[in-house]
Amino acid sequence: MPKANISNHIRRLRFENGEMTQQELATRVGCTRQTIIVLEKERYVPSLSLAFLIAGVFGKTIEDVFEFSPDD
Amino acid sequence: MSAVWITVAVLAGAACIAALARFVWSLRPQREMGGMPPAPLERLGWIGLGVTAVVGLGLVCLVVLVGTDFIKRDSTARGIFWLLMMSGIAVWALAWWTIKRRAGGTVVDERDRAILARSLSVESVVVLLTLVTWTVALTEAYSDEGTLPIEYLQLIFWSTFILGAFGRSLGIVMGYRREIVLDA
Repeated sequence: MPKANISNHIRRLRFENGEMTQQELATRVGCTRQTIIVLEKERYVPSLSLAFLIAGVFGKTIEDVFEFSPDD
Repeated sequence: MSAVWITVAVLAGAACIAALARFVWSLRPQREMGGMPPAPLERLGWIGLGVTAVVGLGLVCLVVLVGTDFIKRDSTARGIFWLLMMSGIAVWALAWWTIKRRAGGTVVDERDRAILARSLSVESVVVLLTLVTWTVALTEAYSDEGTLPIEYLQLIFWSTFILGAFGRSLGIVMGYRREIVLDA
């Protein structure tokens, strides 16, 4: 199974949504602020359910928030 | 046990502790994370490392100062040991309660749970190494007699318990320094 690179636009979407803080997003999706920080730094790939929750907060689909690019 | 074996064991133990301390030091939060505050579970991991190190060193001191049979023979040493153990557990529990209270909101999320699950492998390795060390050392020391003093059962249990908790804490701290990709 190839290793997947998953990037995201969480940081940009937070600022486009009234400069939402990391803590506010974390509270709304039920995770810690540290997880939001590592998500934005792309050092952590979330579960599908967390990805859905994050996309839901911004009113977007998963594809709008996360981008999948399999390694060669 | 010959003086050579005791010297080798002491030197090997000192080298292991030095290497471990150096490794743990390398796990401290790095600047690349932008001064990110540690997650509640990571804090607990660091506290666990400290508590188990202190309790473990206390056990070593009691064995060196009083003897391997201090639990059976010396009521004062036994009292000190139990006080040390209970204090360690109390400090750990109080720390977790305080961290939970201060954190508010979610304390342990899916990333923390993944790290916690992976830390079990570090704990398992530490426990196995502890048991291997005891087996080799006791076999070498008592192969001629053919029997083991009963007090070693207590020492094997408590050292494995303390080092297992140390390994779990180490696994937690290590987990926060690694990139995690959930396969599920």
